[in-house]
Amino acid sequence: MSEDKEKIISEAVEKALQGDMDTINNIEDRVTRSKAKAALVKAKRAKVVSDEDSTKEDNASESKVEEKINFNQTLCKKISEKFSDSIDGDQNNDWIQLKPENWLKIAKWLKSDEELFFDSLQCNTGMDLGEGVLESRYNLHSMKHLHKVEIRIKVSAEKPDIPSVEQVWRVADWFERETYDMFGINFIGHRDLRRILLPDDWEGWPLRKDYEEQETYHGIIVPKVKEGWE
Amino acid sequence: MTVDFLFDFLSELLSDLIGSGPVLIISMLIPCLMLFGFITIYALIVIYAELKVSSFIQDKVGPMGQGVGLHAGKWGLLQPIADALKLLLKEDIIPSSADRPLFILAPFMIFIGAFISFVALPFGESIIVADLNIGLFYILGVGSIAVLSLILAGWSSNNKWSLYGGMRSAAQIVSYEIPAGLSLIVVIMLAGTLNMQDIIRYQMGGMFSWILFDNPFVPIAFVVYFISAIAETNRTPFDLPESESELVAGFATEYSGMRYAFFFLSEYANMFVVSAVAAACFLGGWHSPISGFMDSPAWGVFWMISKTFFLIFIMIWLRWTLPRLRVDQLMNVCWKVFLPVALINIFGVAIWTVVFNQ
Amino acid sequence: MGVVHGQEMVLNIGPQHPATHGVLRLQVKTDGEIISEITPYMGYLHRCFEKHCENVTYEQVIPFTDRCDYLASMTMNFGYVVAMEQLMEIKVNDRVEYIRVIMAELQRIASHLLGIGAFGLDLGAFTPFLHMLRDRERILDIFEMTCGARLLYNYMWVGGLSHDLPTGFVEATLNFLDYFEPKVDEFENLLGHNKIFVERTADIGIMPAEVAISYGVTGPNLRGSGVKWDLRIDDPYSIYDRFDFNVPVGKGMKGTVGDCWDRFYVRIHEIRESIKIVRQAIDQLPKEGDVHQAMPKKIRPPKGSIYRRTESPRGDLGYYIESDGSDTPYRVKMRSPAFTALSVLNEIGAGWLMSDVLGILGSLDIVLGEIDR
Repeated sequence: MSEDKEKIISEAVEKALQGDMDTINNIEDRVTRSKAKAALVKAKRAKVVSDEDSTKEDNASESKVEEKINFNQTLCKKISEKFSDSIDGDQNNDWIQLKPENWLKIAKWLKSDEELFFDSLQCNTGMDLGEGVLESRYNLHSMKHLHKVEIRIKVSAEKPDIPSVEQVWRVADWFERETYDMFGINFIGHRDLRRILLPDDWEGWPLRKDYEEQETYHGIIVPKVKEGWE
Repeated sequence: MTVDFLFDFLSELLSDLIGSGPVLIISMLIPCLMLFGFITIYALIVIYAELKVSSFIQDKVGPMGQGVGLHAGKWGLLQPIADALKLLLKEDIIPSSADRPLFILAPFMIFIGAFISFVALPFGESIIVADLNIGLFYILGVGSIAVLSLILAGWSSNNKWSLYGGMRSAAQIVSYEIPAGLSLIVVIMLAGTLNMQDIIRYQMGGMFSWILFDNPFVPIAFVVYFISAIAETNRTPFDLPESESELVAGFATEYSGMRYAFFFLSEYANMFVVSAVAAACFLGGWHSPISGFMDSPAWGVFWMISKTFFLIFIMIWLRWTLPRLRVDQLMNVCWKVFLPVALINIFGVAIWTVVFNQ
Repeated sequence: MGVVHGQEMVLNIGPQHPATHGVLRLQVKTDGEIISEITPYMGYLHRCFEKHCENVTYEQVIPFTDRCDYLASMTMNFGYVVAMEQLMEIKVNDRVEYIRVIMAELQRIASHLLGIGAFGLDLGAFTPFLHMLRDRERILDIFEMTCGARLLYNYMWVGGLSHDLPTGFVEATLNFLDYFEPKVDEFENLLGHNKIFVERTADIGIMPAEVAISYGVTGPNLRGSGVKWDLRIDDPYSIYDRFDFNVPVGKGMKGTVGDCWDRFYVRIHEIRESIKIVRQAIDQLPKEGDVHQAMPKKIRPPKGSIYRRTESPRGDLGYYIESDGSDTPYRVKMRSPAFTALSVLNEIGAGWLMSDVLGILGSLDIVLGEIDR
């Protein structure tokens, strides 16, 4: 069956699932029209089956999502009560946006406070949000209370300074080195901030969106991105 | 054929022609060349045996060939020859910062140390190159030349890893000579002589007149001697000096081609020497286990070599089964376990002999 | 105390070295045989995984994830696919879930066999390594029968699998399990209870639980320190809650809790647990179901981000995926378990002898492909 006909059928089925039967009925070729109707029946059956299963799980996951949102909001309030002027911008249900200045103190408190007890930093991701804004995201998790939170800190690319938390969670030592290596975020107070995956004399911050490879490295030509690479 | 026998024989024939000096030299050279040929053939056999035995233990097939063409021969029999040729044809690299004279000297010294112990090994009733009165003592003595050459090899390579290997192996060999020697004292006490052929003649008769069964303390001495011997030849579980996964190749890291071959040839030669000493002293030498059955002088060579090969097989078996000991554990075992056991053994054998008057 | 300090020697282990599990350079400061500091240098295998991911589509990321931890590719795929399906809120049918679990657990067995074998090889035990490799070959034959590849599978796709199970798969797997189950006891006896091995690994490289959690060590390394934490039970994904299996935890049977022998013990017992899971999964495997059913035609996740962890044989593997609504990811970050395991080497390895350090490195079971990405 040719590609056009497939396309016509899938478009018609989509529209029909949303309630518009005209597109199917207007297909001129009889064979194609019957195929479209068969596909519609199959899709509806699949949707019914998945709807039944998913309603149960939807309830379960909805309550989980609600718990998480509540926890996030309470945590946000706690942080803004204890450390004034740390929440950056508007709050969100999935993560907490902080300002870089008080991060070390907040981190120490998050780890040592009995109710929160975030004793493991799962992952630290660097992010280039474009327009000269870098971000460092921390996923924290508590092995005791089994709750988790994501904390994001934004900095500008001209002065990317974030306090280092490697004294609090020792795993942050290498995670921050990697973020420094890839994005150039400078972690203040890190005892040994140097490149980890790239050679020490590499120039540039590779994972930034405006990264240009250097021409040569010790005399070896660095290949640019090839054309037609997908 | 001892050197003495050949000397007498040849001087009858040739002394008028050449004079007794050259005759002496010829009569020394011929057995040594035969011995050298024996070592070469033995090396090929034992390399093949190690490859095949290790393959069977590890559930592999080992070198196999189809018999014709450029493969490794039928059942891989040409593999050792291929290995030897490869090592001969390799480029000889000497690192520029290595100490040249010592670097070149080390493999020669270690081979000499192994080779001259062969001179006093009894192969048969009258087949021994030099029937020294102090044969056993001599073999133990010249076995220590290996220590010196390993240190030379480690030092002269100018490589920290080789230095580690050389130091470790020197400490190991020197330490393990002591329990080995003390266990052999048991044999000397029972046989009453240091002469290798006389020790073997003492064990005449069937299997139960071997020194191994003379005395309940002797099997302990045999075990202590055998394990110390494995340690002396740097085989796993004591192969820390050449441990492949830690120090690349230990003291032999910088050696290539034939020089490398010398190190490992001498390791196999050492294995033969210590197994032959164990077979001669504890297992009856060239006597057959059932007296009278296959017991002529010609069969003696067969028995001696098969007992030696049996012990070599056990060494190969142990290498591929056990992990290796760490340096301090190795030293621990030597000084805190083997040495007291060997000493107590001597007393035990002496008291037993006196009490039961055997 | 009268200890003589010679001059400190700085030594390089690697990058070319038979024992470093890949291309890793360890710079050690030694005083005689005792090592005072270890600094790992890595990056020799860095292949810009994260930068590539920003230029290819979501489906094309999956072969890249294979190549990160090449000894456990199925679980790499699994982690990515679970994260993507949570982001896009796709639900796959039961047959796909069961097949994924079977593949992941078989992969766990294969990876642990290699890890334990290499550990033994570092300590000088040549034979168990080859026996384990022989059995791992059979698992790779099963994988080859399913998806045509022995090492890098590209098998789990977002919303389904690339191929359904071939005929004869169930028999082949059950034959393999029946053949393999007694071998695990053999391996435990040959290597684990061998006196020399015990002396080389017990009480060496002790990692206390707080150090492990603080350094982010997870997986068998963490369980060897006595912490009962397994993502398949504590943070469940896929259908692991339908199976009944234990989580082995190091108890310090031969020495202290958290030494190298405990990590070995945990891995051997995890092989047994995986065998149990595979048997249960094959029993419950539904016969009907289309593995391509829930696969979306075009993967275009909604704008947002997700961080999801799954249990790979080396620890907890996390994918942080940020999508901007187009069909190529904005950012994919892989949080690899071996990265954090290597970071703890200096903490637990300093102060031991040289041969111990290589033993400790072997007991952490790292793969450089995952560390360098």
